[in-house]
Order: sequence, then structure tokens, then C-alpha cells
Amino acid sequence: MDNLKLLQLFQLADSALPTGALSHSFGLESLVDEGSLTVDGLEAFLNDYLKESGLLEANFCRQAYHLGISSEDFNPNWRSLNERISAFKPARESRQGSLALGRRLIALALQLEELPQFRHSLLESSQGLPGTHYCAVFGLLGSLLEVDEEATVLAYLQQTTGSLISACQRLMALGQGQAAQINWRLKPAMLQTALESQTAWQENEKLQCFAPLLELASMCHPALRTRLFIS
Amino acid sequence: MSLIEPFEVETGVKGRLELLFENQAGQTILKVPRQEPPLKVVRAFPLPGGGTMVHLHNLSGGVLGGDKLETKVRVEAGAVAQITTTSATRLYRSGANGLASGQLNEFSIGKNALLEYLPDFLIPFAGARYRQQTNIELAGGAGLFWWETVAPGREARGEIFMYDRLGISLALTSEGKPIALEQTWLEPALRPLTSTARLGQYRYFSSFYMCRVGLGKAAWTRLESGLTELAGRLSVPGETLWGASCLAADGLVVRAVSRNGRAITRGLLEMWRLGKQELYGQAAIPPRKIY
Repeated sequence: MDNLKLLQLFQLADSALPTGALSHSFGLESLVDEGSLTVDGLEAFLNDYLKESGLLEANFCRQAYHLGISSEDFNPNWRSLNERISAFKPARESRQGSLALGRRLIALALQLEELPQFRHSLLESSQGLPGTHYCAVFGLLGSLLEVDEEATVLAYLQQTTGSLISACQRLMALGQGQAAQINWRLKPAMLQTALESQTAWQENEKLQCFAPLLELASMCHPALRTRLFIS
Repeated sequence: MSLIEPFEVETGVKGRLELLFENQAGQTILKVPRQEPPLKVVRAFPLPGGGTMVHLHNLSGGVLGGDKLETKVRVEAGAVAQITTTSATRLYRSGANGLASGQLNEFSIGKNALLEYLPDFLIPFAGARYRQQTNIELAGGAGLFWWETVAPGREARGEIFMYDRLGISLALTSEGKPIALEQTWLEPALRPLTSTARLGQYRYFSSFYMCRVGLGKAAWTRLESGLTELAGRLSVPGETLWGASCLAADGLVVRAVSRNGRAITRGLLEMWRLGKQELYGQAAIPPRKIY
């Protein structure tokens, strides 16, 4: 991967990129509120999160990356992929959060590069057709910018894990140093997740996720008395 | 999707059951084009309003290692069917041969038809290896109340998450489009279910789908709100949690986790009552059994 691509990838995965990712906790706020998630358990939680939701989304990110390489029947395949991602997300707030981030990333990308596929997606979204999920947009963007596939998936995992840790800093007594240490120690788990998705993404049998507590937390989020996050 | 693919082993019993529910002048009639042991239905019972209810029997008393079972149900346009089981589905230990068992469920619900599928729990015994795939297709105007609850094992014997491998998949489509997909491979020894990222301190988990194709977004938002309120009343943190959420289209899912199976059963009935009233303006009529 050349240095220009590397720099572009850094920017896409940077939490400073204004996608709105920092406004979503994807259910963590409820888990913290009910006492299921504490500072002591955060690292173990994120480690297992990467094996469940993280792996599922890494697979979708990779599928989108490959759609970007193969332009054949792009539009129906892209729509179908995003419909499937929606169907795998039972909690409305988390699903809508993922769609909102995807839409925002497309809009940002269009300000940076001329990307016909994204223009079409944006048009479809504005017409009320199924939206585009963040993991898929990230994968497709990596592909269209000709960033290395592994680097794209890893950057996606790094970005989403970082966002969740950042949310936890606002939800619990988690200091900056401790947050950085947890993020650092999770790198092998991110690598392992990306590695597993190398074989899993093409086989529907291997797509799996079991995260009922987090899904429930996301479903219960609208009923919280006070909320810092949209989801 | 074939059940045989993931196992690729010789099997013991292959049981098949096909049920066809026809609408004949407002009365739903059950036909049984095929039934091969151990799967069986004995008779249909009429429901008020013209629907029909049947119990699914498994003459083996449970699913044995190596069993491959298929249940296909077609509810034709305008028909109303309710299906339940005679007891919990016991998933036995795979045995020394290590054969996995599997169940394929295929449900097709025709235009303006309604299926209520209300089975008892799945109980995976220690050492069980089982895979279940459920495909549900909804046509225009079709309705669905479908629940499933998985127990941790034979709790009274101290068997908690001692099964080897449990695969549960669901593909729910509305007029050809996926609206809910679930695919889980549970291997408690490899990926502990007690993780907060999975079940945490809870042991039972349950999904309950309520669908009616073509209903507007406002109706789903209203039902989600009502069920969420009920979920709040039913939830006892540390004991049982309930939640409800609109699907991407045409339906809603209720989820629950609990340390207590009875709390799930009672809650499912309450959720069903509210959902049936909101979606159909009718009372839910539970199958006669002890809850």
C-alpha cells in the first residue's frame, strides 16, 4: 500500500472524522445504566464483542470491499447486502445508527473524491430506498480508494472499537490513559477478528452473531430516563 | 439451505412432516400430505373465528444424535393456523458416535393468512450437537406470531450450558426481502455464554416475531411503544430482561433473557396478547396447557 493510501486510511478511521460515530453507544449506555458493564469488565466485554458483532460486521465490510472490486451488477448486490445487514440488526436504534453513520460517511466521501457508486447510493437513500450501513460503506470506500483489503477491515475494527471505548469514557469512570491501554491491548483481538473474516465472509454458514444482551440493551435504550447518546 | 451440508455425516432417522392449511369458505382445514416418524400430528382442533390448531408430536420423545428432521408448513391464502408442541423439545446428547442432529423448518404463509407458531422450549442436554434452520416466507398481507426459547440445559440436574454445539438460524422474509436474519453457533466451552457480550448472568433466551405484511410504519411504532412499556413492567434486572423493536419492515421482534424459564413463558403470553390485539383486534387464544 502506498503512503498516500495509508494517509487516506488514517483519516477515514480517525475518530475526528465527522461521521457522528461519537454520538452512538449502540446499546452500551443501557448496559452501563443497568450495571451489567463496568470499567473492570470492559476489556473482556470488548474482546468478546469483537468475536460476535465485530466479526459479523468485519464480514460485511469485506463483502462490500469485494463488491467494489467487481462492478458487475453492483447496484442490486449493494442493495441486497445492505438489506441483509439491516435484517441482522434487530434493534431499531442500533440499525438506524449504523445507517446514519453510513449515510454520513458517503456524504463526506463525496466531498473528498468523485465516487459514482456513492452518488447512486445517496440518491437511493434520498428516495426512501434501503439505506447503507456504516460497515458496508467503509468496506466499499476502502475498495474504491484502492486501499489494501486487510488494512481496510482492520481500520474498520479499530475505528468502531475506538468509538465504543470513547463512549465508555463518557459513561463510566474510565480515564484517558486506561482507555488507551484497553484499546492497545485489544489489537490482537482485532487482528484475530480480521483473520477469521478472511474465510468467513464468503460462506453464509459462517456468518454468525450471538449478542442478545447487547441487542436488548439497545432495544431498552429509548426508555432510559436520561440519555447521552442517540443509540 | 440443506441441513445435511454442515454435518456431512450418515444419519439415523430422517423424519418429515408436511402440513397444509387451506382456507375453505372461512374455515381452515388441515391436510397432512406427508408424515414420517418420529414427527406426527394427531388431529386438528378448531379455533374460534375459523382457524385451526395442531400439536406437533415427536414420538422419540426428543431429538436423538444423528436425527435429521424436516417440517414444512404451508398456510394458504386466508387460512389461520396455530401450531404448538406437546412438550419441550429435548435435544439429546450426541452419543459416542458424535453424530449431530438437525431440524429444518420451512414455513410459507400465503396472502392474508396467519400463522401462530408457539412451541415449548428447546432443551439442549449435555453433549448435544444440534443445528436448526428455520425459513419463514411471508406473502402480502400475511401475519405471523412466532416464538422460540432456548433453555440452558437440564437445570435441575445442574446442566447449565453443557451442550457441545447449538446452531440456531432463522431467515424471515417478507415478499422476498429479508426482514430478520439470525445465525448463531453456540459453543459454550469455546465461547462462554456468560460473557456480558452474550448472555451475561442470564440463562434462557427468547425471540418472538410479530409480523403483518403491509402495515404502515406508524402502526409498528405504536406497537413497539406499547410492547416496550410492557417490557419495562415485566423486566426485573438481574432476573429477566425484555425488549421490543421494530424490524426494518413489516414486523417487530421481542427479545428476552432470563434466569427463570417460567418468567419467559408468562411474558411471551402477555406480549402475544398485546400484539394480537393491536395487529388483529383479536384476543390471543393460548393452546390448552399449563404455563
